[in-house]
Amino acid sequence: MLIIIMKSLIIGALGGAAAAAGAARMFKAPEVQAMGAFRTMGELNACKGDPLAHFTFGLGFFFNAAGAVVGSGALTQDVLHRIIPNWSAGALLMKNKNVEETLYNPAKMAVVGAITGAVAVTVLNSIASIIPSQLSEIAQGILGPASSTMIDIVMPILFILAALDAGRITGVWGLVLGGASHLIMGNATPGAVLGIIIGQTIQDSGYSKSVKVMLGIVIAVFGLSGYFRGVWENLFSIITGIM
Amino acid sequence: MKKMNDLLLKNSMFPILTGILCAAIFTGGHMFVTYGFGFFNEIAQAEMIRQGIETGDFAAPVGFAAGFLIARVLEGPLVGILDIGGSLMTGVGTGLVGLCLASGLGFIVDSFALSLVVGAAIGLVIGGVIIGVKKAMPEGMAASGTNIMMGAGNATGRYLGPLIIISAAQYSLPAGIGAVLGAAIFYKLKKEIVGGVIIGAILLAWIFPVVS
Repeated sequence: MLIIIMKSLIIGALGGAAAAAGAARMFKAPEVQAMGAFRTMGELNACKGDPLAHFTFGLGFFFNAAGAVVGSGALTQDVLHRIIPNWSAGALLMKNKNVEETLYNPAKMAVVGAITGAVAVTVLNSIASIIPSQLSEIAQGILGPASSTMIDIVMPILFILAALDAGRITGVWGLVLGGASHLIMGNATPGAVLGIIIGQTIQDSGYSKSVKVMLGIVIAVFGLSGYFRGVWENLFSIITGIM
Repeated sequence: MKKMNDLLLKNSMFPILTGILCAAIFTGGHMFVTYGFGFFNEIAQAEMIRQGIETGDFAAPVGFAAGFLIARVLEGPLVGILDIGGSLMTGVGTGLVGLCLASGLGFIVDSFALSLVVGAAIGLVIGGVIIGVKKAMPEGMAASGTNIMMGAGNATGRYLGPLIIISAAQYSLPAGIGAVLGAAIFYKLKKEIVGGVIIGAILLAWIFPVVS
């Protein structure tokens, strides 16, 4: 137990500091390269200036994360996307309402983020470690099938549909790369994501140099993962079988 | 504090930040493999790794995560915000952890200290690539692609609650009833229903175990 707490404190402090500093940099993007997510920025803006709004917003996702970590061991992406940035912002804004000196300041966010991260991760991991194993078996029995359906069916469909809704060019790229990636990698989602990026770039600026670079990388990735998963071997034996 | 702030706003510091974050995320993988919790990602990705450990086949998490890692690393410098969910939590925390376990480098994931070091090194490289791409590709990719993916990403989040209700109903009668009640209560309280679904289903399934 002690070792779990020690490890959690270290991981939480490191992750919290970096995630909070990255979030603060978002307000200076795109000149300053930031990390986080567009939705994180939108949500931080939505409760800007009000410490209570930041705390309660983070708390809602904290309960969610607690449920998930007990059930499946996953802390959820919300710990780094939502809980740490919002709690750090809330803590800083309590003393000083000026976002320019608090939320937009990566140094202060990093320090407070390290503390909130250490606390959040340690509490979540401790909850998971003291929960009876019977409970987590039930949770896995329920959450396992749901998440397989999510990954194998729902996500590929949603990303391909999103590509199809974004115009003919993006639709074709999303469909073709998505389908190819399901055949080669076993899941259509990454291919559809790459198809959306490539298709949108072509729609906006034609077959530019960056499109060619990206296509080269995509072909290399598909080629390699097909090799490791034995797809090419399979394809070859089918072709030789026909002949 | 002022000096540290100016330093942290420099683009050359970005790889340091990704390095620190990757150290934490990769070591989250160590926690998950060692203790069964502490994984910095969603339930779905955790199940991928768990299935990989059980079957020895990590193709699903590695293939799934590789696409995200590449897509997000290319997109990050062009829009100015690196999506840490797709690139680091899924790409590194799921994909590269899976790759280590699959390719006989499992000893890295088994060790807390090695996980921290290797994670930091991976993050440094990714951060360096991003800053490199940012400098090399001023023409810019379409930021509109990001909006489409955000839309699809948010839509997937909405599916999780109803999916778990269905899954709970198939698991057992008490679990199904608990899931529905939990969802209804959380919806009424204007909370994300997923939390209510999980708590309700697990609680009732635990109080009223059904022997099949």
